This record gives sequence, C-alpha cells and structure tokens, in this order.
Amino acid sequence: MANMEYQIEREEKEVFGDFKPELIPDECGGGIDDYEEALHVLMKFVGSMSSALEQVSGRGANAIVYQAGKRMGHEAAKMVEKTDNLEKAMQELSEVLGIEFYFDMWKPAGQDEYTIEKGNETIVKLIFRDCVVRQTLRRTGLPQKGPLCYLLYGYTVGAVEEVMGIKGKLDIDHVGPNACLKTLTIKWGGK
Amino acid sequence: MVKIEIDEDACVGCGSCVDDCPNDVYEMDETKNKTKVVKEDDCMACLSCHEICPAEAMEHKNIHVAKRLYIDRRVSGILKKII
Repeated sequence: MANMEYQIEREEKEVFGDFKPELIPDECGGGIDDYEEALHVLMKFVGSMSSALEQVSGRGANAIVYQAGKRMGHEAAKMVEKTDNLEKAMQELSEVLGIEFYFDMWKPAGQDEYTIEKGNETIVKLIFRDCVVRQTLRRTGLPQKGPLCYLLYGYTVGAVEEVMGIKGKLDIDHVGPNACLKTLTIKWGGK
Repeated sequence: MVKIEIDEDACVGCGSCVDDCPNDVYEMDETKNKTKVVKEDDCMACLSCHEICPAEAMEHKNIHVAKRLYIDRRVSGILKKII
C-alpha cells in the first residue's frame, strides 16, 4: 500500500511569499544558480530536439530550422530603422542579434575594404565571436554546422532582409570553438 | 593584434593545424619538422587549431575569448581552487 505521508526530498528550499497578479515578487526571479540551471536544461532540450529533428528529417532539418530562424529575424527587425547602407545595417543587425551573438565584420590583412562588390552583389565576411548556438552544441556534444547553426543563419538573413529590404544569403565558411566565419551576400534589387 | 606562440618542444609536427586553419596562418617548417606561424595578422581566433592540436602546443594572446556559459560554475569554482 502506498504511504500517503511520503514527500519528495530536495536539497533546495521551497520559496514561500505573497503573490499579487500585478506585481512580480522578487522571489520569482531566483538567483544566478537558478538561471544557470534553467539555461543548461534549455540547452539540453534544444540540443536533443535538434539531434532528433536531424535523425527524422535528414538534411531537410536544416531547411525547417532555417525557415524558423528567418521568420524570427524578420519579426525581430520589424521595428528597426530601415536602411540601404550596409555599415548602418550591420550596426542595426548587431542590436537585433544582441550581445549573445557578438559579431564583427572581418577581412584578411591584405584586403583593403570589408566589402567586395561582384556585379549586383555585395559580399561581406562576418565573424561571430559569441554565440549561444555554439555553446548549446558544445553543452550537448553535437557537431557545429548542423540544424541549430541554420537557425542563426536564418535569423541573420531574415534580419538583414528586413532592415535592407533586399535578398540575402549567408554561407558558413568555417566553424571553431571560439569563433565562426560566415559570408553574407547581399543581392541588390533582388527582392 | 593576435599573438600566437608555438611551444616547439611540445609540437609533434603532425601538421593538423596547417590543414585545419582556414586562413593559412601556419606552415610546416620542413627543416625542423615543426609548425611555424606565417600569417599572424590573418588569424581570426577561431581556435580550431587549439582544438585539433594533440600536444596543446599553441597559445593565442590578446584575443576575444568567447563566452562559455555551458561551463558548470560550481565545477569551475572547485577547479580554480585546485589549479
């Protein structure tokens, strides 16, 4: 027979306080350890979801996640000031992506400008130094350049398209544990 | 500016970093059979070479060290006390 007095034992103390719908009490915020634990749980969930998606859909997983990211990018950049100036657009993009996706424009030492003009296209290399996606992949032991990387890929393209009103493309050149290099191609008059 | 230091005593001359670097920062020194840095200015500090080097023979100085929020703070706190 089940013991009705049985209680689950936990190391953490349960939080008791007063709650009013219009006020969010301090107790709901939690400490840094709570945030850390929540972040790690989310990383594990997202990582296993990406892995399962790839297993079920194969290479189609990249397209699904790319679309999701692109939609997010368009939504996130809706309120941002529109511009056809690439440098200004990169500034706007850095604000949309936020500090967790810290990126810079990059060029090899021998190249004068950050941008390369090629017919009706402008090419710029972006180096992503901080990236939550990369951290999630490392947390869950998954390889880079998988579906989750396509989420950021779509997010960046969506935001650039929204800010500049043009068609964009992002290619992953190289991935590393500390930074990833991507090529952003902007097609003028291609919308 | 990135500064790369190779520990020549540790380097086993496998050439993994030469093959892996997307910007051809390294070359093999055929006489010493060790890696040498030839295009330091082109290093973007992705640290792929760090990850692939079996001897942990290189050090990158003055780089943006990416956030690693996946690291367990409690574990790294304990390690800090030991090391």
